[in-house]
Amino acid sequence: MFKRTDDKITTSQATIVLTNSMLGAGILTLPRDIVQGVKTPDAWVSVVLGGIAVLIVILVMVKLSQQFPGKTVFQYSKKIVGNLPGGVLSSLLILYFIVIAGFEIRVLAEVTLFFLLEGTPIWAIVMPFIWVGTYLVYGGINSIARVFQIVFPISIFILIICFILSTRIFDIQHLRPFMSEGLMPVIHGMKSSILIFTGCEVVMTMTAFMEQPQEAVKGMVVGFCIPLVLYLVTVVMVIGGLSINSVITSTWPTIDLVRSFEISGFFFERFEFPLLVIWLMQMFCNFCSFFFNAALGISQVFNLKIHPVIFALMPVIFICTMIPQRINDVFSLGDSIGYMGVLIFMLLPLLLSIVLLIRKKGLKQNV
Amino acid sequence: MFRQRVLRILLVLMVLFTQPGCWSSKEIEDLSVYTGLALDKGEPNTLEREFEERGGSYQKHNKVTATVQIVPERTIGNSGKDGETPKTHFNNISETGDSLLEVFRQFSIRQNRPIIGHHLKVIVISEDLVQKEKIRRLMDFVLRDNDIRPSCLIFLSQGRASDTLMTTSEEIPSFRLAEMVHNNFRTSKVMKGITLSNLDALMYSKQSFVLQNVVEAHGEVEFSGAGIIKGDTGHWIGNLDQHDVESIAWIKGDIKGGSIKAYDQSNDSITYEIKSVKSKITLNETDDKKISFHVAIESTGRLIEDWDVKEHSSNVGYFKELEKIFEEKLTQHINSLIHKMQSTYKVEVAGFGDWYSIEKPHVWKQIKDHWDEEFTRIPVTFDLKLKITDFGSTSD
Repeated sequence: MFKRTDDKITTSQATIVLTNSMLGAGILTLPRDIVQGVKTPDAWVSVVLGGIAVLIVILVMVKLSQQFPGKTVFQYSKKIVGNLPGGVLSSLLILYFIVIAGFEIRVLAEVTLFFLLEGTPIWAIVMPFIWVGTYLVYGGINSIARVFQIVFPISIFILIICFILSTRIFDIQHLRPFMSEGLMPVIHGMKSSILIFTGCEVVMTMTAFMEQPQEAVKGMVVGFCIPLVLYLVTVVMVIGGLSINSVITSTWPTIDLVRSFEISGFFFERFEFPLLVIWLMQMFCNFCSFFFNAALGISQVFNLKIHPVIFALMPVIFICTMIPQRINDVFSLGDSIGYMGVLIFMLLPLLLSIVLLIRKKGLKQNV
Repeated sequence: MFRQRVLRILLVLMVLFTQPGCWSSKEIEDLSVYTGLALDKGEPNTLEREFEERGGSYQKHNKVTATVQIVPERTIGNSGKDGETPKTHFNNISETGDSLLEVFRQFSIRQNRPIIGHHLKVIVISEDLVQKEKIRRLMDFVLRDNDIRPSCLIFLSQGRASDTLMTTSEEIPSFRLAEMVHNNFRTSKVMKGITLSNLDALMYSKQSFVLQNVVEAHGEVEFSGAGIIKGDTGHWIGNLDQHDVESIAWIKGDIKGGSIKAYDQSNDSITYEIKSVKSKITLNETDDKKISFHVAIESTGRLIEDWDVKEHSSNVGYFKELEKIFEEKLTQHINSLIHKMQSTYKVEVAGFGDWYSIEKPHVWKQIKDHWDEEFTRIPVTFDLKLKITDFGSTSD
């Protein structure tokens, strides 16, 4: 049997890895987050503007990574700013990945406990996910990419079906008036809309694994545009279906949209269950991506073998998952992750690019 | 080698046996599925009072009586065998208290099978209760609960709400109410169903709105008009009749079917069957900041019934005459609605506010908190055009 041993992925695999690293639990709460910031039906404009801003960030990250073919951010940061500062920056990124991995699993558990498996202890949901995730991450980037390739079309298919069916309660009037209060609320909402793109940092490691790094820009831009379009559709459908007044008060607006209609005589009558069950796989992928990147980071920064690191991370992630006590803590953790993401961007790609530019152009050093 | 294989198979079997299970599963046979919920003013029924006399009570205020309609599945297997007529398929039980969840849990000390809300289809609230309690309070639990779906429909009832879940026909009353909403393609006296998620948005917006009214008599129910919920207080303040509900649909242009009946010069019934309706609300502003609404309604339809058999009912001139009569009738209905909104109840429930907020979002922000009063001062003009485009399969 053909078995790949080199840790390389194709461009389309890289695209899907990036997409799955961003599309996760966020889609279940994002309409509320953005509407609370914008407070007018123009929330979707915020998503577009936020998306464009993050797209520029991604381009910076890809260009930076392309300077060091075959090297991840954990390796080249040391080359650019020196061993110790590079190590500190990388550790920040690792910490960030671990926290998101834990958060992702926690949201998954919260939503499953509330809608699907009331009465099951939380550890009984969290632990199998971490175990199975470990198994996948142990297989390396190739296995991860292949699992993502299988899961992605299924989960997107179900999501799209749900949105198509929700057109029966869609009312275009809910999206009006357009830009009633000018651009200010939209700008205000961009803060929350940038937060939903957390996870795009994996670009800085994925580029190193690509077979053809020269195609990284194309692959990563496509990989980013898929979640952007899906987020946009989600916000439009949820606001159109529920109106902003209902979205603001809803804890899980996307699920509430699907719960707001019943289709008798169809294959399923209620679509929140297939959506949730299938979306669990998507959240699992999301979690595995961060788990892998965290493990990779630790092994590369501290020169350790990756497999023991993976096992050592299991309890750490479990603790991260269980730290928030209330649901409010979970949501505020989500917000802090967003702010961390902005900070990480300032410190890593931006700072590194500037230093690299100065050293190369200004000091004519050979990095 | 062999040993290893046996071990492996054992392991696989073990995994197989542990997988097909569900930690928190509950058999559906052991649960009471409720499909309807009726909320009434807190008046304990005789059974409850008797329980209380014998010491079966707890600390509470009798603010609301909740009746749930449980649909048992057992009758299905038993009926038919001995030629017995099957008795009612449902079981309504009531409890009084001041917290819906506590009341629901109270059923667990009276019933062997716990109730579960996954299949709740309709909630009927009596007007008396909404007059006393804010609707937001009554709906708080059902909005928070994870079992009850936001697709559940909400109605008001003129009499006791629990009576509307007691209809005597074969069908389960709550299903009947839920399915009756689909009839709005026959008559616009049936409002578009307001689901819990619609209600959530309506309550949050603090604007007045209407909910379909259910009337019960002799074990039968009918949708009759609508009850008005005042936005800023959340209380019921009055009723609109069946024509008013139709008029709201005309103003919104949201009509899938229906009829207009009028009387011609010789006082014979003539009826117009609606084929299509288009309405357009425009907001006009004069130079001195006076605002007025203009509603242009266009409709085509069929002359479906004409008791004046002497007339030749395929004549265009005759149609034009009838169109005038129908237009007058409709104007009369709509004006009566506007009068009720602007003078009697001083609320606006026909969707003018939504238009205002779309057309003039800046002004809307300032006036939305007292929109109902604002509306009483805004003149509304109408321009109705009904067109009889055909006369059915006979012209005699």
